[in-house]
Amino acid sequence: MNQKIILPIISLAGLALFSGCATDAHYVSTGDKEQIISVGQINIQDYANAANAAVKDLLESGVLDRSPNQPALVEISQIINNTSQQVDTDLITKKISIAMLQSGKALTKTVDTKAIGLQQENEFMADQKTTRLPDFTLSGKIIETVDRAGSTRRTTYSFQFALNDAKAGVEAWAVEKEIGKQGTRSSVGF
Amino acid sequence: MKINKLAPLLLLVLGTALTGCDTVNSVENTNKTGQRNMVPSQQVITDAGFNRRVAIGGVNATTTAGGLLMVQVELKNQTSTIHRFLYTCEWFDADGKQINNVSSASLPDHIDGGEQKFLYCVAPTPACKDFRIKFIEAK
Repeated sequence: MNQKIILPIISLAGLALFSGCATDAHYVSTGDKEQIISVGQINIQDYANAANAAVKDLLESGVLDRSPNQPALVEISQIINNTSQQVDTDLITKKISIAMLQSGKALTKTVDTKAIGLQQENEFMADQKTTRLPDFTLSGKIIETVDRAGSTRRTTYSFQFALNDAKAGVEAWAVEKEIGKQGTRSSVGF
Repeated sequence: MKINKLAPLLLLVLGTALTGCDTVNSVENTNKTGQRNMVPSQQVITDAGFNRRVAIGGVNATTTAGGLLMVQVELKNQTSTIHRFLYTCEWFDADGKQINNVSSASLPDHIDGGEQKFLYCVAPTPACKDFRIKFIEAK
């Protein structure tokens, strides 16, 4: 009799326990509380974090406001990936480029081959060169540093960016944002 | 015999408690040269516990050389333990319309025990006139 009562209770408790562990698929936003943190990998929120730091510093510096041509023309140059993982650098450069455009303080040189072709055709038809040379180029580097102590691993990603004055050939602005992650395994949270 | 068993346990508890208290000591100049332009702010507190642990000291605003609104928030950790949180800067134009871009990304940060810390946000466009900064404590 006792077993008849206990067995369904145990089954019910087991079911509740297991259903609590399962995570149903749901939409999440990039910067929410449930973000996955991988110790040995750059997560999507890390790009947003690095781009935010770069944009904040760039807009605060006023370097774009000091350009003789307004709005300044910026060409996105090379972003060197010195990490162990494959990185599509557009994940960060596009965020910076969107922020610069939205601020109204800079235009970015297009990489669209169709637009470049049409612009060249327009120049040919008008028989005059109208191409505006960039005032600045944006370059950068992503560096990975790994430290270990027993099973604990610490990975630091250094995102370095520089805005180079195309006329003077000097760095007009530079910033570095370090993102460090430490743990023994990936987790959900922040 | 009982004391022999309890002593290591007490030491362990004490050790854990002490390692949890990494507080920050600081020093600063008494006669301040800089004047902060404090902004009257209103707070909506839904997590009273977090607000007790990490209090918002004040908000000051300035404008960058390019005419962008820059806001700085002072936080004070009123406990002796580290607290992790996520903060988001939201921006609004003169009509109250929200303007979002990478500047509105939610950013993780932490504050050490007893630490006073400043966070700052820069508006994405000169059109931004108002702001709201949200804080969520980590679980």
